[in-house]
Amino acid sequence: MVARLLLRSAVRAAVTRRASPAVALTRGMAAGGIPTDEEQATGLEKKIMNAMKAGSDPFNMLKPKEYAGSKSDPHLVPSITNKRIVGCVCEEDNTAVVWFWLHEGEAQRCPSCGSHYKLVPHELPH
Amino acid sequence: MAHQAHAYHMVDPSPWPLTGAIAALLMTSGLAVWFHFHSTTLMTLGLILLLLTMHQWWRDIIREGTFQGHHTPPVQKGLRYGMILFITSEVFFFLGFFWAFYHSSLAPTPELGGCWPPTGITPLDPFEVPLLNTAVLLASGVTVTWTHHSIMEGERKQAIQSLTLTILLGLYFTALQAMEYYEAPFTIADGVYGSTFFVATGFHGLHVIIGSTFLAVCLLRQIQYHFTSEHHFGFEAAAWYWHFVDVVWLFLYVSIYWWGS
Repeated sequence: MVARLLLRSAVRAAVTRRASPAVALTRGMAAGGIPTDEEQATGLEKKIMNAMKAGSDPFNMLKPKEYAGSKSDPHLVPSITNKRIVGCVCEEDNTAVVWFWLHEGEAQRCPSCGSHYKLVPHELPH
Repeated sequence: MAHQAHAYHMVDPSPWPLTGAIAALLMTSGLAVWFHFHSTTLMTLGLILLLLTMHQWWRDIIREGTFQGHHTPPVQKGLRYGMILFITSEVFFFLGFFWAFYHSSLAPTPELGGCWPPTGITPLDPFEVPLLNTAVLLASGVTVTWTHHSIMEGERKQAIQSLTLTILLGLYFTALQAMEYYEAPFTIADGVYGSTFFVATGFHGLHVIIGSTFLAVCLLRQIQYHFTSEHHFGFEAAAWYWHFVDVVWLFLYVSIYWWGS
């Protein structure tokens, strides 16, 4: 179905006479004939592409943001429910990770190094 | 659509791994039946099942990736690792045959006349068809790179033309090798020279055929607009495989055809 739609627009693009032969770098199909992700991505891939463009990371693909971990700048932990497991690597290169459940509400502190963590609930991406 | 909080692909249940395993069973036992009871039925059945499995499994992957959008960046990364690991395993496969060749050729036994090529063997002239074959594969490496750049730059016509040319060069190599095999003055039964020559070059030829098929599938997909200028991993995997086939040939040429003559 998608292929037929693209074929139709490709035929139209091939047939229309353009006033100036300016290369449209954004519209892949109109220019060289190979679609871009912008035009053709679908499903989860498209959703992720759009979210990344908007600067959000709903699927936790990127490294978590760096925070100071203090009371005024706690580590913000996104969650789709009201709790999430946190693994704190208190100091760089520590091999023993401190695991604990982080609950919704007031910030909690790592039982080992005392850094602050705060749960930030959001909607399941759909 | 995506009721998941992660970017990975939880694949739907599929019968193809089972049919693939059954095909492997039928092919191997069929091979034994052929050797002992002169019947090729079981093996042929296994081969048909294998072809059906490959067609349907890879068709499903194309549906999941291109048509349903399941191949997100982390999924694509996994596919890349997978292809690299597979090609690495193939490198080790060929390494074994090169080991066999060097084992036999570096210290030729008295039975061979204490020399390499062994007494009585007239090796192929490395500067005739084998050199042409080298040029053909190197050229195909250039054309496949041209295809890649064409895809990335959105040039549909050039991508199709250069990919077609790559496949034609691959077919030309296969045809030339087939002719060489037919015309060769020695056979696989001619001692360890024949064994190492035909097993190593034979498996290489099989890989050329596999690589050409993979590229041909990419050509069909490219014609049907599956690839985008940013996302075309199927093609990249085919190109990596093709370059691997080319590199194996270069080693074969230098070791067996040239040094070994």
